[in-house]
Amino acid sequence: MRFFDSHVHMVSRTTDDYQRMAAAGVTAIVEPSFWQGQPRTEVGTFKDYFNSLIGFERFRASQFGIKHYCTIGLNPKEANNEKLAEAVMELLPLYICKEGVVGIGEIGFDDQTKAEEKYLRWQAQLALEADLPIQIHTPHRDKKAGTIRTMDVLEDVGVDPGKVIIDHNNEETVKAVLDRGYWAAFTIYPHTKLGNQRMVEVMMEYGAERIVVDSAADWGISDPLAVPKTAALMKERGITLEQIEQVTYFNPLAAYGQSGQVSEEDWAGSAGIDPTALFEGNTLLRGGMDIETAMSQYLIE
Amino acid sequence: MRDLLSPILAATTPDSAMTWLGETIREQETAFQKRPFYYAFSGVSRHFDKRGHIEVSDEQLQALQEKVPGFSVKGWDQFRLARVILLLTLGKQDKATFLETIAALLNTADLREQAAIYSAFPLLPHQEDLIEAAIDGLRSNIIDIFDSIALQNPFPATHFTVEAWNQMVLKAIFISRPIYKIVGIESRGNAELSAAVSYLAHERWAASRKLTPEAWRNCADHVTDEIVADLEHLLNEGDQVDHEAAALVIVRDGSDRVRHLQERIEADLDAISGGSLTWERLGEKLEFPATLNGSPAKA
Repeated sequence: MRFFDSHVHMVSRTTDDYQRMAAAGVTAIVEPSFWQGQPRTEVGTFKDYFNSLIGFERFRASQFGIKHYCTIGLNPKEANNEKLAEAVMELLPLYICKEGVVGIGEIGFDDQTKAEEKYLRWQAQLALEADLPIQIHTPHRDKKAGTIRTMDVLEDVGVDPGKVIIDHNNEETVKAVLDRGYWAAFTIYPHTKLGNQRMVEVMMEYGAERIVVDSAADWGISDPLAVPKTAALMKERGITLEQIEQVTYFNPLAAYGQSGQVSEEDWAGSAGIDPTALFEGNTLLRGGMDIETAMSQYLIE
Repeated sequence: MRDLLSPILAATTPDSAMTWLGETIREQETAFQKRPFYYAFSGVSRHFDKRGHIEVSDEQLQALQEKVPGFSVKGWDQFRLARVILLLTLGKQDKATFLETIAALLNTADLREQAAIYSAFPLLPHQEDLIEAAIDGLRSNIIDIFDSIALQNPFPATHFTVEAWNQMVLKAIFISRPIYKIVGIESRGNAELSAAVSYLAHERWAASRKLTPEAWRNCADHVTDEIVADLEHLLNEGDQVDHEAAALVIVRDGSDRVRHLQERIEADLDAISGGSLTWERLGEKLEFPATLNGSPAKA
C-alpha cells in the first residue's frame, strides 16, 4: 500500500522524517507554499522559498525515494502586507507553469480581511488562466463562515469546484464543501486541528468520495506519519481497504492529477509496503529504523 | 547548431511538440520578449514527455563535436534538449538582454531547467560572462546540477582558472562523480591538483574510507615522492580497481621513481598496451550513486 500526502511542509522537517515517511509507504507528497512561522520582509525571500520548493526540497525528497510536488501561491497571512503581496504576485507567473507545480496554493482566508479576498480572487484567476487546481487554506478562526465565503469568491471568479481542494475541514464544514462539489481535505494535526478518531467518524458518515486525508506537518508539533497512521486506525475501525486507499492515495492523486503534472507513473517501481505489516504492527517495513515505535502510537489527538 | 540539434529532438518527440517549439522560436526571433520566453522555457514541461529521453547516433555526436569539441548530448532527456534549443534563440539577442535573461532564468529555475542552462553554456555567446555563474552552479549539492557543468561539458576546461578547475575536480572526487566524464581531465591536470588529491586520499585513509580510484588520474603526470608512496599504499592495501589505477599511473610515468613497482603490475601491462585497461574502462566499471555531501542517503 502506498500513500499520497497532499499537504506537508517538508522544508521544516528533518531527514529522519523523510526516512520514516518512506518506510511507512508515503510515496508522493505535495508541499504547499505557506508562511514560515514569521512574516517575510522582502520579496526576495519568497523567490528563494519558491526556488527551494522546486529545487532543493524536490531533490532532498528524491534521495529518499519520495516524489515531491508543490503548489505555488501567496498565503493569506502575508496577503495583508500589500506592498509585499503585490511584488509576490509579480513573481507567481514565473513559477506556476513549471514542472511538478500541481496547483495554486495554499491560498484562502486567515483573518478574512479585504486584502485577503483581493489576493484570493486574483490568484483564482491565475489558476483559471494556467488551468491549474487550487489548494485552499481555510481559516482557524470563524472557520465555517470563512469556508463558505471562500467558495463564494471562487464561484464568483468562475472556478470549477471539481478543481479545488479545500483543506483543514472539520465536522462543521464538510457538508457544505462536499455539497457544492469541492474536494474536502482533512488535516490530521495533533491538538489544533483534527484528530484521526474524528476523521474515522467523518468517513463513517460521509464515505470516501472526494475526501482527502493529509498531515500538514510543518514547523509546529505535527506528525509527518499522520496519513499512514490514520490509515492504520481506519483499518482497525473497520473501514474498507478500498475506501482507505481512496482517501489516502487515489483521491489526492485524482484531484492534483488535473494539473497534468502528476501521475502514478512518476513513482512506478516504488515498492510500497505490505499493508498487513503496517496494520497489524508486525515486524515492520524496510530498514529496521525506529519506524516500528513511530507507527505503534497511531492515535493522533 | 540548431540544425544539428533539432533533428535529434524530433526523432523521439511528437510532431505537436516540435511544432510548438518551432513556432515559439519563430515568434521570439521576430520579436524577443522576456516574459513569453520565460513561459516557453518552463512550458517545455507541458509539451514534451517528462520521462522521454533522446536518441543520438554516433554520426550525430561526431557532427556536434566537430563544431564544439567535447560537447555531448548523450543521455539527455527531451526537456533538456528542447530548452537548450530555446536558449540558442536567446543567444541571438543583444548582449545585455542575453545576460539579463540568463540571470533571471537561473534565478527562478527548477532542477531540470538549471541543468539545461548550464548544459547550453558551451554553445552560447559571451561565455566569458558566464564563468561566474558556472562556478556558482558547481556549489550546488544537487547532483544533476553539478553534473550538468562538470561532466560531458567543455565549458570548464575552456574557461576556468586553475583554482576553479581544481575545486571542481576535487568536489567531483569528493561526491563520487565519474571523473572520466570530465572534459579536459588530462589536459588541465596540474601539480597542485595532484597534491590535493594525495592529501584527500590521506584524509580518507586515516578515517578508513576509500577514495575513488579514478582520482589518481590527476596525479599521472605529476608523480612526486609522495605520490609514489600513495601508489605503494594502493598496491598494498587497495582492491582490484585501486591496483589498476596504480598500474595506469605507473605506466604513464615510466620513470626511475616507479621502477621498483614495475614488477607488481606486470599482469596489467598487456591490458594497458592493448587498450582494454584505460581510465575510461576503469571509470565505466565503477558505480556512481547519487550522494549528498559525499554520503549516500538511504531510504
